[in-house]
Amino acid sequence: MIEFKNVSKTYAGSDRAVVNDLTFTIQNGEICVLVGPSGCGKTTSMRMVNRLIEPTQGEILIDGQKNTSMSGTQLRRKIGYAIQQIGLFPHRTIASNVATVPNLVGWDKERTASRVDELLDLVGLPPDQYRDRYPAELSGGQQQRVGVARALAADPPIMLMDEPFGAVDPITRDRLQNEFLNIQQDIKKTIVFVTHDIDEAIKMGDKIAILKEGGILAQYDTPENILANPTSDFVSSFVGTDRVLKRLSLVRVRDMDLEPANGGDNLPRISDKLTLKDALSEIIGAGAERGLVVPDGNGGNPRGTLSIDAIKALSHEAEVSSG
Amino acid sequence: MDSQDPPTAILAFLQAEFATGEQKKVGLIDWEWLRDNFMEDVVPALFQHIYLCFISLAIAVVISVPLGILAARYRWLYPWLTAITGFFYTIPSFSMFTVLIFVIGLSVGRTPAIIALVLYSLLVLIRNVVTGLDSVPPETKDAARGMGLTDRQILFRVELPLALPVIVAGMRIAIVTVIGIAVIGAYIGAGGLGDLIFDGITRDFPTLYITGAVLATLLAIGSDLLFVRAERMLSPWARRSRGAT
Repeated sequence: MIEFKNVSKTYAGSDRAVVNDLTFTIQNGEICVLVGPSGCGKTTSMRMVNRLIEPTQGEILIDGQKNTSMSGTQLRRKIGYAIQQIGLFPHRTIASNVATVPNLVGWDKERTASRVDELLDLVGLPPDQYRDRYPAELSGGQQQRVGVARALAADPPIMLMDEPFGAVDPITRDRLQNEFLNIQQDIKKTIVFVTHDIDEAIKMGDKIAILKEGGILAQYDTPENILANPTSDFVSSFVGTDRVLKRLSLVRVRDMDLEPANGGDNLPRISDKLTLKDALSEIIGAGAERGLVVPDGNGGNPRGTLSIDAIKALSHEAEVSSG
Repeated sequence: MDSQDPPTAILAFLQAEFATGEQKKVGLIDWEWLRDNFMEDVVPALFQHIYLCFISLAIAVVISVPLGILAARYRWLYPWLTAITGFFYTIPSFSMFTVLIFVIGLSVGRTPAIIALVLYSLLVLIRNVVTGLDSVPPETKDAARGMGLTDRQILFRVELPLALPVIVAGMRIAIVTVIGIAVIGAYIGAGGLGDLIFDGITRDFPTLYITGAVLATLLAIGSDLLFVRAERMLSPWARRSRGAT
């Protein structure tokens, strides 16, 4: 658990705070996304967790203990760190890069080597093929995978990730995001994730902290609640006018109550794995009013049908409940 | 070789080159003399030269690396260091030796020569240490710090290894410069290939000064290649081609 308590940061020689009286709590095993326009202090806030930056006021507690209760370097070795520019060591092999923190904290060689292989496997880089390469021999996407593996190396309970998938093309980013979410289901780290991209925030976050310029927390809630109920004009304009659609992208077809499928042979077939947003697009694209829901992977019996009205009702419900 | 009166190198060279038939018996290089005296005169001079240059370079590196690290950290130091070492660099070698011996009062021999050679190397070396450290990507340092490396660990495990090729490139320039200037060191009794050259000129014996000059040149080329080699060996990561899949 990470607790921000009235945390502020003002740089010497400036009277404007970069981070302003930030108070919120990140529960264990959650991905908390800090999102906002540039200059909102999201990276600064993240860097205060592992004390790369010290706050001018307030304190940050990790599992109830002040993060100043140990030296900065000790603290940082216990917190995974991955950044957009990756910052792999160009003079070290992939294996040696991943082994950085295990080496710092004195793991023996065997344990480190097997951990490195395990992690390279986890991030989808076959160890036999990649272990002994240098970072310059890898593509941007592969380097970011190594960056994530390196951050995970000593199995830290907390990870700080500053736009860790920022430096790659959108398709690769999407894949890396999905893979990371899959990994997170197993490893259940407590993650502070920084991005400027609201779509990435909605996709990755269990909670989203929207910050506005001057480092003020505008809203802190689940993606669903933020989309359904933005508490200020700033938040609603930041999440965008398509927030209803964005919200649909958070719900999957298989989570919906379906209507019975009697004789819907000419209806468009929709995989139950799709999000409502994609399902809606399929239905509208086929010029239909409803779609036939089938289990993922084409085969199998239809589960039922999903109508545009049902989708509408859901988004309307959200609007009403959000008042 | 014979009893020509004007003992200048140019004249000797010209005379040897355009000598009449009878004088040409010996030729420009007296191979027989060279064979007889190679181990006794030439080889020791070469080794003295190598010793003189490499010991000077080693001392200069020992001084430059810490100064360069300091200058990279405390930026205000850098212009001062380049101004002072740049000043040394501009002093003509004869003047430098003269100052060291007659003004500072060092006794003639190896010591003033080594001091001069060290002073000449500092500018290039310090500059390359700073450039090398500057070339380390900031995100690499940030990642290192973020993972919990101490400042010292960052310096020794990240910054210096990454700066090393640039530092070695500086050593390459320095050694070539020093090999050339060390020749003049013979003038103040430092020994080395300069002995052969000055001797050859005074005795009007081309074999000597040509041997000295050729060896000094070969030594410079050889050292240059040696450091190119070292540069490559020390940065295996840069050699591998981009093989992204």
